[in-house]
Amino acid sequence: MSYRSELLKKEVFLVELVDSIAMSKESMSHLKAVYFLRPTSENIQHMRRQLAKPRFGEYHLFFSNILKDTQLHMLADSDEHEVVQQLQEFYADFVALDAYHFTLNIAANHMYMLPAVVDPSGLQQFCDRIVDGISAVFLALKRRPIIRYSRTSDIAKRIAHEASKLMYQQESGLFDFRRTEVSPLLLIIDRRDDPVTALLNQWTYQAMVHELIGIQDNKVNLKNVGKLPKDQQEVVLSSEQDAFFKANMYENFGDIGMNIKKMVDDFQQVAKSNQNIQTIEDMAKFVDNYPEYRKMQGNVSKHVTLVTEMSKIVEERKLMLVSQTEQELACNGGQGAAFEAVTNLLNNDNISDVDRLRLVMLYALRYEKESPVQLMQLFNKLASRSPKYKPGLVQFLLKQAGVDKRTGDLYGNRDLLNIARNMARGLKGVENVYTQHQPLLFQTMENITRGRLRDVDYPYVGNHFQQARPQEVVIFVVGGTTYEESRSVALQNSTNSGIRFILGGSSLLNSKRFLKDLEEAQRIARISTNML
Amino acid sequence: MATRNRIRVFQSYRDTLNENRIPFTSSNDSGGPVIEMATTSFLNSNRSYAPLSTEDDLGPSTSRDAFTVGLPPAWVDVSEEVAASIHQSQVKLAELKKCHAKALTPSFGDGREDQNVIEVLTMEITDILRKSEKRLQKLSASGSCEDSNVRKNVQRSLATDLQNLSVELRRMQSLYLKQLRQQSEAHDGLDLEMNEKKSSFLDDNFNDVGFTELQMATGQKDEQFTAEREREIRQVLKSVNELSQIMKDLSVLVIDQGTIVDRIDHNVQSVSASVEEGFKQLQKVSLALSCFLSRYVSLMCAHTLQLSKYTCIYITHYYK
Repeated sequence: MSYRSELLKKEVFLVELVDSIAMSKESMSHLKAVYFLRPTSENIQHMRRQLAKPRFGEYHLFFSNILKDTQLHMLADSDEHEVVQQLQEFYADFVALDAYHFTLNIAANHMYMLPAVVDPSGLQQFCDRIVDGISAVFLALKRRPIIRYSRTSDIAKRIAHEASKLMYQQESGLFDFRRTEVSPLLLIIDRRDDPVTALLNQWTYQAMVHELIGIQDNKVNLKNVGKLPKDQQEVVLSSEQDAFFKANMYENFGDIGMNIKKMVDDFQQVAKSNQNIQTIEDMAKFVDNYPEYRKMQGNVSKHVTLVTEMSKIVEERKLMLVSQTEQELACNGGQGAAFEAVTNLLNNDNISDVDRLRLVMLYALRYEKESPVQLMQLFNKLASRSPKYKPGLVQFLLKQAGVDKRTGDLYGNRDLLNIARNMARGLKGVENVYTQHQPLLFQTMENITRGRLRDVDYPYVGNHFQQARPQEVVIFVVGGTTYEESRSVALQNSTNSGIRFILGGSSLLNSKRFLKDLEEAQRIARISTNML
Repeated sequence: MATRNRIRVFQSYRDTLNENRIPFTSSNDSGGPVIEMATTSFLNSNRSYAPLSTEDDLGPSTSRDAFTVGLPPAWVDVSEEVAASIHQSQVKLAELKKCHAKALTPSFGDGREDQNVIEVLTMEITDILRKSEKRLQKLSASGSCEDSNVRKNVQRSLATDLQNLSVELRRMQSLYLKQLRQQSEAHDGLDLEMNEKKSSFLDDNFNDVGFTELQMATGQKDEQFTAEREREIRQVLKSVNELSQIMKDLSVLVIDQGTIVDRIDHNVQSVSASVEEGFKQLQKVSLALSCFLSRYVSLMCAHTLQLSKYTCIYITHYYK
């Protein structure tokens, strides 16, 4: 995403949304217009109306994905005045969040949890959007992948097959790129294979900000936070523009605190020397360096505000206590101790409803089959402590993402190798009890790197097959990705294993969003069972 | 990034469709493809140029097959002038740099002409910058929404360029100043050394009166020299002050890079937010109006008519 100052350098003087342009009647025929649109039917209609009564001198149209022939016809039909000078497809039908992480920002994300019969057309739209997004990624990469998907997930299978149809049959000409020795791999997996990562509280900078406050399109909305000056109410958090953030986005909370303190100290030094102006030269130097100084000041106050706000939330919700138990539930065995810990926290009045819910969910996901009596006890206790709060959601989660529904070894207790690995880790001890969790994705990536991704778990589409290790892998999570996972991918990529991983999802999750999708799916499922 | 050009396909579709769409102007068809081609090119060439007024729109657009390409509005000329002055100042800045370098090289003679040239050039550049800045203020928006956005952005971009230029100029001047000072100190130091040498030499060979005079003579010369340098330094400082004033004014216009205001989507969203606000206000007004009407319709017929007339004007004002 480029910045306005960069656009101004290129002499772009007005940026508007396509529907607001339509509302105004002004004629600005001395300007050339560049449109960048998704090729949806709505946008095509907008364009047709505008071409019929052109406001600008020239029209240069860029579409973010493949244009169908019918759409081309419709546009040509409306262009009576022949104002369209350029028409290209520029494959960028996705939102790039970080260097190896993209999202499709699908609003109706909960669709993937519903059976197909409930809303077939809605589900088709959902799948189409994902297939379009994925194909734009590969058109941008100029590669055509081998496709694999998560066995237990119907929707992953459906998307995999539809993507394959698009790339190998319908538009096979467009995708017929120069073949290299090894095709890249597209792996489509389901969020429900690893609901734990979506529920956990986070302690690394980027993930933590998103979990506790919320990042939308690399922006953080701080309007609800106390009394902040106007220019700090909404801040930008992007590794492209902010060197401090780039260096610290994957660091844990303790280290961030130290680094911010160091940044503040450095800044105070600069500020002090600025106050010590005695000669004209000093003044001149100050004025010269003022823009830098102001930028530094803005950056320092931004990070200090964020960390202060997060510390406040951690304190209010007693997250250190809660998160310790969460991590135990996610990483270590011991059903008895877990039961006790969760019960204690449920009894604790200071814990909020949402945290109680998450704890019971994490317990249920792990100990679903062990000691059903105690599980029932926890359900009852939760219902009594938070009676009106999202009732029945834990049970719904188990129906969606229970042990029978998941592919892969979420807790490392099915696979012999994983059990051994976990035991070794337990003996070694962990650096930081709050960041000991590793998402399932990490293991998946390791398996791919070692060529050990089992066909049984992740079958190939059709007659695709891959002999050697791929060099490029796109992993798409239907249901959304988390920043913890994108951190995992970034760290994996930095090890130079010879494989480049790219992560994408239908939306960007934190625990709040995941719970919201779950709730929405539960509501719709209830309505449809009532109707049947 | 990967792209695919679809313009050829589009143009072929468009041409086929346009051919089939015979316009009503071909009333006197003596048949044949000749006339068809003539009409298609007529379609193209039927673009009349009309001066564009930025106040009202041109009304429901002209006839279907004529597309008026208007001349750009007046403020575009102002912006082009400013852009031209910026270019001019860049050229002069390069010249000034050379003069500075020349003046600093030790030479025979008192270098007064060099100083003059430098002074003149500096004044010219400051002048151009100041005039451009005044002209730039004129670009401040009045009038319709989109036009004002374009103007604002043009203004910002030119303001950034102007600011960069003035910063550049000041930096060059302060550098020159520093080097001047260094030189004059060295010169003084050298003189003192020479004096000492001279005095020790003369001491041996001459009587007091002689070398006191010589000393005084050299001392006076040094004084003159340092007085010269003082004056130059003061001059440079004056222009520094002027430029700082310009920079202050310009800084209002320039966006800080990387802040929230710099983001395109923020700009776009704030526009849509204000449109939404306006719409909400309109809704409130219409609701209030309907309540009012329903209550007093019998009593205040005449007055009601008057009020609704004003509200309509208010509403249309909002739409503008």
